[in-house]
Amino acid sequence: MGLWESLLNWLRSLFFKQEMELSLIGLQNAGKTSLVNVIATGGYSEDMIPTIGFNMRKVTKGNVTIKLWDLGGQPRFRSMWERYCRAVSAIVYVVDAADHDNVSISKSELHDLLSKPSLNGIPLLVLGNKIDKPEALSKQALTDQMGLKSITDREVCCFMISCRNSTNIDSVIDWLVKHSKSKS
Amino acid sequence: MAQPLVKKDDDRDDEAEYSPFLGIEKGAVLQEARVFHDPQLDPRRCSQVITKLLYLLNQGESFTKVEATEVFFAVTKLFQSKEIGLRRMVYLIIKELSPSADEVIIVTSSLMKDMNSKSDMYRANAIRVLCRITDGTLLTQIERYLKQAIVDKNPVVASAALVSGIHLLQTNPDIVRRWSNEVQEAVQSRAALVQFHALALLHQIRQNDRLAVSKLVTSLTKGTVRSPLAQCLLIRYTCQVMRETGLNAPTGDRPFYDYLEGCLRHKAEMVIFEAARAITELSGVTNRELTPAITVLQLFLSSSKPVLRFAAVRTLNKVAMTHPMAVTNCNIDMESLISDQNRSIATLAITTLLKTGNESSVDRLMKQITNFMSDIADEFKIVVVDAIRSLCLKFPLKYRSLMNFLSNILREEGGFEYKKAIVDSIVILIRDIPDAKESGLFHLCEFIEDCEFTYLSTQILHFLGNEGPKTSDPSKYIRYIYNRVILENATVRSSAVSTLAKFGAVVESLKPRIFILLRRCLFDSDDEVRDRATLYLNTLGDDGSVAQTNKDFLFGSLDVPLVNLEISLKTYASPSEEPFDIDSVPKEVKSQALAEKKAPGKKPTGLGAPSSGPKSAVDAYEKILSSIPEFSSFGKLFKSSAPVELTEAETEYAVNVVKHIYDGHVVFQYNCTNTIPEQLLENVTVIVDASEAEGFSEVAVKPLRSLPYDSPGQTFVAFEKPEGLAFGKFSNMLKFIVKEVDPSTGDVEEDGVEDEYQLEDVELVAADYILKVGVSNFRNAWEGMGPECERVDEYGLGVRESLAEAVSAVINILGMQPCEGTEVVPSNSRSHTCLLSGVFMGNVKVLVRLSFGIDGPKQVAMKLAVRSEDETVSDAIHEIIASG
Repeated sequence: MGLWESLLNWLRSLFFKQEMELSLIGLQNAGKTSLVNVIATGGYSEDMIPTIGFNMRKVTKGNVTIKLWDLGGQPRFRSMWERYCRAVSAIVYVVDAADHDNVSISKSELHDLLSKPSLNGIPLLVLGNKIDKPEALSKQALTDQMGLKSITDREVCCFMISCRNSTNIDSVIDWLVKHSKSKS
Repeated sequence: MAQPLVKKDDDRDDEAEYSPFLGIEKGAVLQEARVFHDPQLDPRRCSQVITKLLYLLNQGESFTKVEATEVFFAVTKLFQSKEIGLRRMVYLIIKELSPSADEVIIVTSSLMKDMNSKSDMYRANAIRVLCRITDGTLLTQIERYLKQAIVDKNPVVASAALVSGIHLLQTNPDIVRRWSNEVQEAVQSRAALVQFHALALLHQIRQNDRLAVSKLVTSLTKGTVRSPLAQCLLIRYTCQVMRETGLNAPTGDRPFYDYLEGCLRHKAEMVIFEAARAITELSGVTNRELTPAITVLQLFLSSSKPVLRFAAVRTLNKVAMTHPMAVTNCNIDMESLISDQNRSIATLAITTLLKTGNESSVDRLMKQITNFMSDIADEFKIVVVDAIRSLCLKFPLKYRSLMNFLSNILREEGGFEYKKAIVDSIVILIRDIPDAKESGLFHLCEFIEDCEFTYLSTQILHFLGNEGPKTSDPSKYIRYIYNRVILENATVRSSAVSTLAKFGAVVESLKPRIFILLRRCLFDSDDEVRDRATLYLNTLGDDGSVAQTNKDFLFGSLDVPLVNLEISLKTYASPSEEPFDIDSVPKEVKSQALAEKKAPGKKPTGLGAPSSGPKSAVDAYEKILSSIPEFSSFGKLFKSSAPVELTEAETEYAVNVVKHIYDGHVVFQYNCTNTIPEQLLENVTVIVDASEAEGFSEVAVKPLRSLPYDSPGQTFVAFEKPEGLAFGKFSNMLKFIVKEVDPSTGDVEEDGVEDEYQLEDVELVAADYILKVGVSNFRNAWEGMGPECERVDEYGLGVRESLAEAVSAVINILGMQPCEGTEVVPSNSRSHTCLLSGVFMGNVKVLVRLSFGIDGPKQVAMKLAVRSEDETVSDAIHEIIASG
C-alpha cells in the first residue's frame, strides 16, 4: 500500500504543478510592476505608468505556478490591499530604498496592514528595491527603519534587490519557490 | 450543482416554462459566491453563480453596500482566469453592480489591459465596461485607444466604442466631440451596426448645430446608407431638418421629399414603414404627397406579419384624423382586419373605419362592432367609445343607432373608466344633439337604476337636475330619482335630494309633489341628506318673489376658486362674530406660482418675509398695504400685478414694481435690493414723472429709511387716478443717499452722498384692470349672460409667427383667464377658438370668445365676441384690442 502511495505521488509531481498566490504591495513608484516584469520576462523598462487598480500575472518557475496580484500603490488603493492579501501564500512588500523621505510612511502602511486579523501568520517578504542608486539604504538600516524586528507573529525575510540590474532576483525567486513547497 | 438551492416546488413542476432560477435566495447565492476565492477556480461554476447574481439583480433584489462591495472584490479575483465565457460574465456583473467610484477604480488597469488584448471579445466588452466606470481624468488617458477602436476593423469593437461614445457624451461632451473625424469615418463602414451607431453618435455630437445636422442629412441622403437601421435614423433626422426649415418655405416642393419617397421602395420593411410614417407626419402634407405612403401602408395591411399589420393600421388611424379621404382607399383591406386574430389590430381597424366611413356604412359597422365588443379589453373599448362619439357628432342623423349602441354597452359588464367614457359620451351627445336628449336621459336613468359607481351616479343625477326639468315631460324622471333616495348610499341620496329640488324649483306643477318627497327625506339616517332636504324645503317654500335668487342658488356654479374659498374659510373659522360672506372671497386665480417659476433663483420679491410662499403673495400684499396709514383710505384692493422688473439683471440695484389698483387710486410698490456689499442706501425714494399719464396726480410717497446690502426693502408711491379705465406711462428715478460700508467690519461712514439711478418706465395697461377669474362651465356662463351687452367685431392681426403665438399675445393683452384649456392651440390647425373669462374693474363679469383664423401667408384674423354685465365694459374690451 505504501509503495502504491509513493508511486502515485511521484506521478502527480510529474503531471501536476504546484501553485502559489502572492500579493505584491508597497508605496507607489517602489517598483512593484517592474519586479513582476523582471520575474516574468527578465525585461526592464525605465518608463512605467502608475498601476491603476491591479495587474494579475501568472508566472511559472520550475514546477511552481505563481499567481501575482500586483496592486497599485497610490493612497486611494491602500485601503483595498488587505482584500487581496487574504489567504495568499506570502505578502511581498516592496520599498524604495533610495527614497528616504517615504520610508516612514511605508513603515506605517506595512504595520497597519499586518495588524489586520485576516492576515495573521502569512509570511512577509520585504524587498528593498533600487540598490543600484548610490543613496540607497543598507539592509541593516532598512530593517531598522521599517521596524521589521518588531514583527514576531510571522516569518519575515528581507532582501535588497535592484530590478534594473536584476540583482538578487534569483534569491527572491528561490525564497518564493521554497515557500510554495513548504506550504504544500 | 445548483440543484440544492433551487426550491423544488411540486405545484410548478408541470408548468411548461420552468425557470431554473425560480426561488433562489440572495443569502444562499452570496454564500455560493465564495467559490470566487478558491485557489483552483472552476470557471463553469463561477459563471453559474454570477448568472444567479445577475438574475437576482434583475429581479429587483437589492444588495446592501457591504454585500455589493464584498461580491465586487470577489469578482475582481476572477480576472485571473482566462476563460472567455467567465470573463464575459465578469464584465456584466461589474456593470450591474456598479460599485462606488472609489472602489470600481481597482479594475481599471485590468480593463485597460483587456482593451488592448488580442481577443476582440475582450476588447469590445472591456471598452463598454471601462466607459461605464470611467471619470473625466481617466477618460483623457484612454481617449487614444477609444479613437482607434472607433475605426477598428472588427465591427463589434467599433460598435462598442461608438455606443460608449453616446453614453459619454452626456458626461464629457468636450472629449467626445473631438472624435468627430473617426466617427465620420465609421459612418462609411460596411458593417450595418457600426454605421447605425456611428450615425447616431454623429448626430448627437452635432445636434445643437442646426446647420451641421442639415449638412449631414444632405450628404447622407445622396450617398448610400446600407444599414436599414441607420436608414431609419436618417429618415428621422431628415424629418427633423424638414420641420425646422419647412417653416420658412411654405410653398413649392419640399427639399427632401424625393428622398423619403425613394425610401418607400427600399428592400427592408422597416425602412419602408419609417418613410411612410414620416411622410404622413409631415406638417401640412398634401394629398399628392400622401398617396405613395398610403399605398405601401395598404400593402402592409395584408401582410402575413402581425407587427406590420399593426404598424400600418396604427399609422393609418392617425392619418384618418387629419386626412380621412386619403385613407378611404384602404377601407376594404381594413374591414377584413376587423376579424383579425390580434385584438389590437382589430380595434385600430374599426376605429379607423369609423373615422373614414360615410353615413351609409355606419349601420353595417355598428353591427360588426357589436359582435366583437365582448372579446376586447376595457382600454380598447374606451377607444371604440371615443370613436363612436366623434362619429355621432359627425353624422347627427345617425344618433338613434349610435345612442342605442351606447346604451347597450352601458348595460354590459365593464370597469369604471369604461363606464365613465360611455356616460361622458352620452352626456356630450345630449348636449350637442337636441333630438337625442330625451332618449339619452332615459338611457342614463336606466343606468343609474343599476349602477355600482357612486361617482357616476352623482354625476348623472346632477346632469339630470340641470337637463331634466327642461324636457317635455319632467315628471317621468322623478321615479328614477326618488328610487335613489330609497335604495342608494348616503352620497348618492344627497345628490338625489338636490336633483329633486331642482325639478321643484323649475317645474311649478311638480312642486307640491316634490315637497312631499323632500319631507320624507327629513327622516333619512344621514346628516347631509337631512340637511339638504331641510335647506331646499325652506328655500323653495318661500313664495314666488325670491324664485329668481333660488334658481341662481340651485343652478349657479361656484364662481370662486376653491383654494381661495378654503383660505377664507380658515380665517373665518377663527372666532369671529360676523357671518361668513362668500362675496368677500377673492376671485383672483392665483398665478403667482407661475411667475415665481419664471424668475428662478430670485429671492421672494420685497415682501420682507422671505418665508412667505407664493400662494399667499396676494394676501401678503394686502396685509402690507393695509398696514400703511396713508393708503388705508383707498378702499378695497382690486388687483395686484405680477412684479415687473425695472432694471437689467446683474446691476448695482435691482428694482421691480408691483402695481396695486384701487377704485380711485394706484399704488406702485417698488421692491429694491442693494447688491453692493460696500454700500448702505438711506432715504430711498422713487421720483415718478407722470407727465405722460393724463389725469394722474401724486398723493403720497412712502420712502424707505435704509437699504442695507442684500436685504430687500420696499418704497411706495400712490396716485389718484381718474374714474374707470385710465392708462399711462410713468418714468421712474431711484433717489437715495449712499454711505460707504466696510464689508469686513460692517462699520458705516458718517457722511453720505446723494445719488440717483435711472429706472425703466412702468405702464398701466388694460390687463391691470381685469382679474383672472375662471368659470367652470363657459357655455353655461355665456348663455346665462345673455346677448344684451354683447359686442362683436372682427380684427386683422397682421402677419404672425403662428396661430399659437397670436392667441397667447391676445390673452396677454387682455390679462384674462383662459377657460377649458382653450389657450392651447393644436399644431397645424388653421383656426382656433379661445374662451376667456375675467372680472373687470368694479366687479363686472366679462366673458370673451375669440375665434382665430390663419391663412397662407401667416395673416391672422380674429373675431372678438364679448359679453358682460355692462355694455361700457364690453366696449372697453374692444377698445383695448383696437388700440393694442
